[in-house]
Amino acid sequence: MTPVPKKLRLYLTLGQRLFRDSLLFHLLLQEDIDLVGESDTGTETLKRLAAADPSVLIIEENLRDNDGLTIAEQALSLHPTLSILLISETTVSAGRLAIYLDAGIRAVVSKQQAMQELVKTLYYIRNGQVYVGAWQRQDTEASAVARAFDALSGREREVAQLIAHRVCIKDIADQLGVSCKTVHSYKDRIFAKLGFERLPELILFMKRHRNGAAV
Amino acid sequence: MSIADRPLIFLRHDSSEALNSFKTTFGHDFQIAAFQSDEAAAEALANLDIRPAALFVLVDNPSARTEFPLLAKARVSHPDLLKILLGDSIPLSLLVNLLDLGQVDRCFEQPVNPDLIRSHVLRAALAVQKMSGVAVQVAPSGADEVPAVLIVDDESAATKYLARQLEHMQDEFQVLCADHAEAALELMREQGDRIAVIMTDQRMPGMHGKELLDELRQSHPCTVRILTSAYGEVAVAMDAVNEGEIFRYQKKPWRAVDCLSLFREALARRRQLLSELNQTRSALDHQLEALYKTRTIQLLALEPLINEAAGLPVLASFLQALQTIKPLPANASHLRASLETDLEHTLIEQFCDLARHRLTQLMRMPGGTLSAATLQTDLQTIADAGDDIGEPQSVSACLAQALTTLLTASGQHWQHIVFSRPETGVEVAHVSLHMYTHLLAPLSRVSRPLLEQQVAFLLLHVASARLGCELKINGGQQLYTLTLSLPDTAETD
Repeated sequence: MTPVPKKLRLYLTLGQRLFRDSLLFHLLLQEDIDLVGESDTGTETLKRLAAADPSVLIIEENLRDNDGLTIAEQALSLHPTLSILLISETTVSAGRLAIYLDAGIRAVVSKQQAMQELVKTLYYIRNGQVYVGAWQRQDTEASAVARAFDALSGREREVAQLIAHRVCIKDIADQLGVSCKTVHSYKDRIFAKLGFERLPELILFMKRHRNGAAV
Repeated sequence: MSIADRPLIFLRHDSSEALNSFKTTFGHDFQIAAFQSDEAAAEALANLDIRPAALFVLVDNPSARTEFPLLAKARVSHPDLLKILLGDSIPLSLLVNLLDLGQVDRCFEQPVNPDLIRSHVLRAALAVQKMSGVAVQVAPSGADEVPAVLIVDDESAATKYLARQLEHMQDEFQVLCADHAEAALELMREQGDRIAVIMTDQRMPGMHGKELLDELRQSHPCTVRILTSAYGEVAVAMDAVNEGEIFRYQKKPWRAVDCLSLFREALARRRQLLSELNQTRSALDHQLEALYKTRTIQLLALEPLINEAAGLPVLASFLQALQTIKPLPANASHLRASLETDLEHTLIEQFCDLARHRLTQLMRMPGGTLSAATLQTDLQTIADAGDDIGEPQSVSACLAQALTTLLTASGQHWQHIVFSRPETGVEVAHVSLHMYTHLLAPLSRVSRPLLEQQVAFLLLHVASARLGCELKINGGQQLYTLTLSLPDTAETD
């Protein structure tokens, strides 16, 4: 008799449209995330919060109209059960993080961190928990993925490369002389090993780390 | 100890296999001091120079254990130390027992989620850097009111029976009942201050007990939370301990005597929480008041320049106006920011720099004309220009720009300003605006919007004085009304 998990009702406050769109494109791929509102200013957020009734608010620190943290404190005083994830401009020090947590912020993700870290954090705080990630070791995730890639078998790497080039499963099967079912199981294994959930993550990883696109 | 280094944890383990697997998982995250006996661990704990962020007890066969002398010892000697029990499978009775004894704060079964455990430890490591607050004696509030205990269960017959028994047995607390979570939330909204303890069943139609407690932990942190269930679901109990930070787990069926002693302990816990809260609050207010005084004294450095630019001594009225605007109550984050970062210094320095710059500009400007019509035109021009707005060329344009900044900070447009001409004949501009925090209020960060808003508020005072119009500020809760009586006739400097 486990309760059906509630959808995560997300409100997003980010100044820049391009940044907001990019986040939303990614977050809304997660089926249990529902977007209930978005704003580019803090005052607009406070105005619309009650009607939108979000469970999680993602808000950036540097907003045009007010300090993001000040707005977060106001939002919390009106809606104490709101889980707030603050997006900081740069990596925060331990001292700053302690201040944010004392202020009732559930988690901080910096603009220097990977998308996967944000998604993970979002899930950990959804029921009001505080989550402190390994925020000072931003590169660990990336290097862990790189290590995981090195652990793939030769065939798995071949399939990963083809998938990233958007070759369809059937063509991959023909090319490698195996069945579609086999390619599918390679694909599942690749995703599981690398800890990815979606195709764009694999494509980006292959472009960055295997094509030398990353500097 | 800085969290920038890996936090130090103490680990008591039974076997080297368990230790090695722990090291593989957490070696990157923690500095691990491992001990194979209670004595060795206790000896290390006794060294007060070394303060670990957490004490892990890694048990190979938890079902065979009933007592943990190390945890018992640590509870007394290190009440604030985070105590974590890890084991292959933890029997519910063991968890309940340790919880009753207050010997465990977190409990996890293998395989663990390393992210979560790391998060708990890092959080504890951050809290270790606790500030030494000034203790101020305060009387606990609401001490004369009879507290209430709320019991939530869908089996209302059982609840009512227990409630009646308890009411007969004592007169220290009242018993309230709710037969589902939503009704409990409703009661909490109506009389949350009075409800000292909540005991809820886990399995109910609709919202479950654990979810209800999660919500109350955030909205009513001083209400002591107890979960109760007839089913031995250890996973639920563990989540409730780890995430919900529940006070106790009470197995069903209830016995009135057990419940009575449980509630008495919970009420004692509640009194402790309230008095801690009151003490923190008054210590905070006390220390922040002193900081505001220091800020005020430092702002006096601007006085000559302000007097010269305004032609009148307006710094006092500016500061008075700020004092009427009430911010949210302060919390520990503000004091931490003021005492442990360079916030105080940065705030004054950056505010004074920006104010000096703007005041010097303003002194060189001609007055310009000011009437309702010119003010509206200026405001519209600024709104149209957007980010391309250049430097203002007159004091009246400067006033319009300061107003625009204040409107933006409040999420409003100049058309929200009401212009009227009361019986007395002078034209008046009137608007209600938000100000969430200010120079003489709790702050946790100095941001550009804050500085711009505060300087605009000062410039508004200076420019009004210079143009001979009367400015009235009436403060409220994070807001204020601004009334500007415009000069009778358009005049020039």
